[in-house]
Amino acid sequence: MVIRATGLTKVYQGVDGAPPVRVLDGVDLEARPGQVVAVIGESGSGKSTLLNLLGLLEPADAGEIWFDGERVSHLGRSAQCRVRGTRIGYVFQAFLLIGSLTALDNVLLAARYVGRDRGEAEREALALMERMGVAHRRGHYPAQLSGGEQQRVAFCRAVLNAPPLVLADEPTGNVDDVHARVILAELRAQARERGAVVILVTHRAEAAAEADASLRLSAGRLVP
Amino acid sequence: MRRLRLFPKGYGFTVLGIAVGMAGLVALGAMGERISRFIEGGDRFVLGQISVAGEGMGMGAGFTAGGLLPAARIAEIARVPGVAVVQPQVMLPISTSTSHFLTVTQELVMGVDPAAPPANRHYRALALRSGRALAAGDRRVAVVGSDFAASRKLAVGAALPIGGLEFTVVGILDKTLTAPDRFAMLPLEDARDLWLRRDPLLFRVFGSGGLARTDLNSGAAVGWQEGVDPDELARRIQGTVPGVNVTIPGELSRLLRTSTAFFSALLVGIGALGLVIGGLSLANTVTAAVFERIRDFGVKRALGATDAQLLREVLGEALGVSLWGVGLGVLLALAIGTAVDWRTLREGQQLFYFSPRLLTFAFVFAVLLGGLAAAYATLRIARLSPAEAIRRGA
Repeated sequence: MVIRATGLTKVYQGVDGAPPVRVLDGVDLEARPGQVVAVIGESGSGKSTLLNLLGLLEPADAGEIWFDGERVSHLGRSAQCRVRGTRIGYVFQAFLLIGSLTALDNVLLAARYVGRDRGEAEREALALMERMGVAHRRGHYPAQLSGGEQQRVAFCRAVLNAPPLVLADEPTGNVDDVHARVILAELRAQARERGAVVILVTHRAEAAAEADASLRLSAGRLVP
Repeated sequence: MRRLRLFPKGYGFTVLGIAVGMAGLVALGAMGERISRFIEGGDRFVLGQISVAGEGMGMGAGFTAGGLLPAARIAEIARVPGVAVVQPQVMLPISTSTSHFLTVTQELVMGVDPAAPPANRHYRALALRSGRALAAGDRRVAVVGSDFAASRKLAVGAALPIGGLEFTVVGILDKTLTAPDRFAMLPLEDARDLWLRRDPLLFRVFGSGGLARTDLNSGAAVGWQEGVDPDELARRIQGTVPGVNVTIPGELSRLLRTSTAFFSALLVGIGALGLVIGGLSLANTVTAAVFERIRDFGVKRALGATDAQLLREVLGEALGVSLWGVGLGVLLALAIGTAVDWRTLREGQQLFYFSPRLLTFAFVFAVLLGGLAAAYATLRIARLSPAEAIRRGA
């Protein structure tokens, strides 16, 4: 899937009379299947906001997003839900697992909302968890898992439906180096083996160095 | 259904919050039901017969309060067209010295002839909890109401002294939640003996030969033939038979409702209070439980959940939580009500009645209100973008 974004702008309104904050200002982006794109920049430069917009997690104030020639940024609510469920996988920095669900049920959440057969999804989920080394923890709740294990479970959830676009917002920010290397390797594998587009916000130099392309943001704008 | 069978994980405090609110609603509702059943029972009774007493004032109590009703008058009443049966009665207060000001029901002696056909078409026979009913030829035996028995710790076979006479309890009535719960029903002749012992003037008149035993009636219950209008018949009796005081059933019913207006108003107040307490507690608890999970909703939206899918999930969880909450709340209210009634029944009073309609209403109310509260909270959250929901829940 070819991802294209033009003129992406996001403004957060100020509160109590504070001036509005232009977090993203006219960002353009293009990524092709099999590409790993690293997004780097100082804190507050708009990296996470860019991923949120690409992931249709919040609306842009200006600009357009296209997936394979379809303008997804202007779809209706339900249509965007379908796009999120079938074409985008999101790995959050804070894992964001559902505390009342087991590790396996957290992974299977990705299949629930797109109407996949549970049996087939469960087989795939267990295979993924096996590959990520957390299958033995499938019956445990997030509070019983380490940070690294939680992020691996979150990764499984993100890629269960083999989305053509994987967005990872600082996926190694809250894990140790060992787990960080595992996560980054699996993200590269998604691009290499499945041809997914992987857009990755990272502070890790090695992750940026191993990406196919890098985007540097500063004060909401792309800088060379 | 799986969600309903298992206790909803992570919702312990939510269920507890709902349970407390619903316990309040159900307990208050049970008090209201108790009052309601009492008023309804009295209304059914007065609408089931025409009560007749002699003119003037006497020791008679209850609906036959008035002067003596001699046998001749009873015979005249029986001849009025439309009358099916006339049952002579003696109704006396158990205690003549205790003030009954604001007493909801008096404890009464009710003397009836067990051989005579019952007159009240709504109360042809009172159900028994234990023992037997009065039978023709019985003397010095009594059938007592449930509260009457409880306040005196009476069982079948127990001795019961009334007015210097000794009776044996042969039966205890099932709970009616209205006046008969505080009756002691005696054979008519025994009630007449009691009356003579209590009323010295009556005793002198009777002893002088001015009255026959069959004249010793404080009133009578009149039943009507099928198709006859009871109010019209009552007026006909009043107009035809001299020296009698006839209660018009319809008017008495209105009078009863007017005299119990305070309790009816109390009923409305109790009901409103219960609905507010229980409803607010339930709605607030469910809404808060949904808002607490705003981050989870954001994550689910990020995974592709539509508004309809989220709403279905939330409503399913709200159903489970509400059912568990109201179930526990009902159990809590039952425990409180039973404990309080165990104490108050010693004085022959019951304060709570957990009727099937009350419990059904509680469950339906909890499910509907819980669903509405959950839907409201979900739709509020659904307006947020997934990223905003995740940020707010962080």
